[in-house]
Amino acid sequence: MKLALSLAVVLAALLAWEYGVLAAEMPEYLLPAPSVIFKKFWQTLPVQMEHLAVTAATTLAGLVMALVAGVALALVVTYVKPLQSVILPLFAAFNGIPKIAIAPLLVTWLGLGAEPKVLLAFLLALFPVFVNAATGLSEIQPDILDLARLFGGTELRIFWKVRLMNAVPYLSDAVKVAFPLALVGSIVGEFIGGNRGVGYLILSAQSNLDTPLVFASLLSITLFTSAGTSAVMLFEKLFLEWRPSRQR
Amino acid sequence: MPTAISVRSLQKTFARQIAIDGLSFEVDANEFVALVGPSGCGKSTTLRIVAGLERPSSGMVRASGETVDGPVRNAAMVFQAPVLLPWRRTLSNVLFAAEMRGKRPGAFRERAKELIVLTGLDGFEHNYPHELSGGMQQRVAICRALLLDPTLLLMDEPFGALDVMTREKMGFELQRIWSETKNTVLFVTHSITEAVLLSDKVIVMTPRPGRAKAVVPVDLARPRDVGTLKDPAFVELCAAVREAL
Repeated sequence: MKLALSLAVVLAALLAWEYGVLAAEMPEYLLPAPSVIFKKFWQTLPVQMEHLAVTAATTLAGLVMALVAGVALALVVTYVKPLQSVILPLFAAFNGIPKIAIAPLLVTWLGLGAEPKVLLAFLLALFPVFVNAATGLSEIQPDILDLARLFGGTELRIFWKVRLMNAVPYLSDAVKVAFPLALVGSIVGEFIGGNRGVGYLILSAQSNLDTPLVFASLLSITLFTSAGTSAVMLFEKLFLEWRPSRQR
Repeated sequence: MPTAISVRSLQKTFARQIAIDGLSFEVDANEFVALVGPSGCGKSTTLRIVAGLERPSSGMVRASGETVDGPVRNAAMVFQAPVLLPWRRTLSNVLFAAEMRGKRPGAFRERAKELIVLTGLDGFEHNYPHELSGGMQQRVAICRALLLDPTLLLMDEPFGALDVMTREKMGFELQRIWSETKNTVLFVTHSITEAVLLSDKVIVMTPRPGRAKAVVPVDLARPRDVGTLKDPAFVELCAAVREAL
C-alpha cells in the first residue's frame, strides 16, 4: 500500500515534468524531459556502466578503508585511554578541514589515477565511522561489564561478545552516512582530474551541453546509491532484528 | 556451618566522603542473608566490594576463606535492572555466563533449559529481551546468575523495579529456587517484609556512613508462603527490624 502510494507520487511527478517541459517549450540543454533522459540512459548504458563501475570501485574501496581505519582508531581510543586525549582533539581539528577543499592538493600529490579519488572517499567516510565505532565500543552499561568480569570474562572475550556486538548497529548507522560521503569524495575526485568515472562523464557531458547525458549519469548514480542503501537495509533486517527501535 | 563471607571493619571513602565506616558481618555457607538500610547507606557498595568489583578503602573481606582482591570466583550477581544483552535471545543470554567463563555453551544448554523451566520462562527461550516483560527479563537475569551454580549469589535489589504483585511472586519463586540450589545468598533490599520473608538473617545498616546496627535472626519455618505474612512471629520480626532501622 505504502509502496503503491510512493510509486503513484513518483509517476505523477514524472508526468508533470514531462508535460511541463513540453508545454513550456523548454530547450533540451536546460531541462530535458524524463522520456529523453531515459532514452539517453538506455542508449549510453554500456558507457554508463563502465564509468559507474569505476566510481563504485573507488567508493567501496574508500568506504572499506574507512571502516578498517575507523574501527582500528576506535579500538585504540577505547583500550589505550592515555591516547584518547591525543587522538580526539586531533580528529576534531582534522574534521574541521573541508576535505573537498584539499582535493586539488591530493591530485597534485597523487596524480590523475585512482589514488586521490580513493583517498578523498576514505577521508570523507572516516569521521562518521570512527565516531560511531568509538561510541559503539564504549557505551556499554557498566553493570554488564562487571557481570562479565565476575563470570570470569577476559578482556578478549568481553571484546568479542560484548563490545563488538554492541558496536554493530552503530557501524551499520555509520555506513548509512559514510557511504554517500565516500561517493561524494569519488565524484569530486573525478571532477578534478582523470578521464574515468561518473564524475568525469558528467563533467564532459556538461562541457558538450549534453544535458540529457548529465541527467542519465545522475540516474546511474542513483541506481548505485539505491543498491547500497538496500544492502544496508538487508543487513539490518537479517542481523539487527533485535533492535527495539525497529519494532515500534 | 563454615563461614562463606566475612567482612571485618570495612571502610569505603568516595571523594573524601565516608560511605561505609567500620562495617562487620558474617554470612554462613548456604545461608540467605538480607542487607537492609536507608538509601545511600552503602548497601550496594558493600555488595560490590564483597564481589571483588570494587576495592575497600580499608578493612578486610574474605569469601570462602580467601581474601577478596578481584572478581570473586564462583560468584554471580543480579542487579536491580536485568542488564541483558539486547541482541541475544533468552537462552543465549542465560548461556552468556558460561561463555564468559570460557566454557562451551553447548555443555550448559541443558542446565540453562532447566533453569528456564524452573523460573517459568519456558516458551520464551527464543525471545529477545525487549519482547519480555520487566519481571520476565529479571528472571532471565536470575537464570544467567544461577547457570554456573555459583556458591555465592549476590543480589542488589533484584525486585526493586517490579510492581508489588510481581515482586511478591518473584520472592516466593526465589525462595523455591534457593531451596533447590542452596547457594549462599547476600540480598540487598529496602523492603523490610521482603528481607524477613526470604532470609535466615537480616543485617540492618545505619544511614551513611553505613555500619551494621543490628543483626536480626529469622527462624521462621520454611517454605514460607503468603500465610507467613500473617504469622505473629513474622509480624514481630518485621517490627524488630523496623525498630532497628
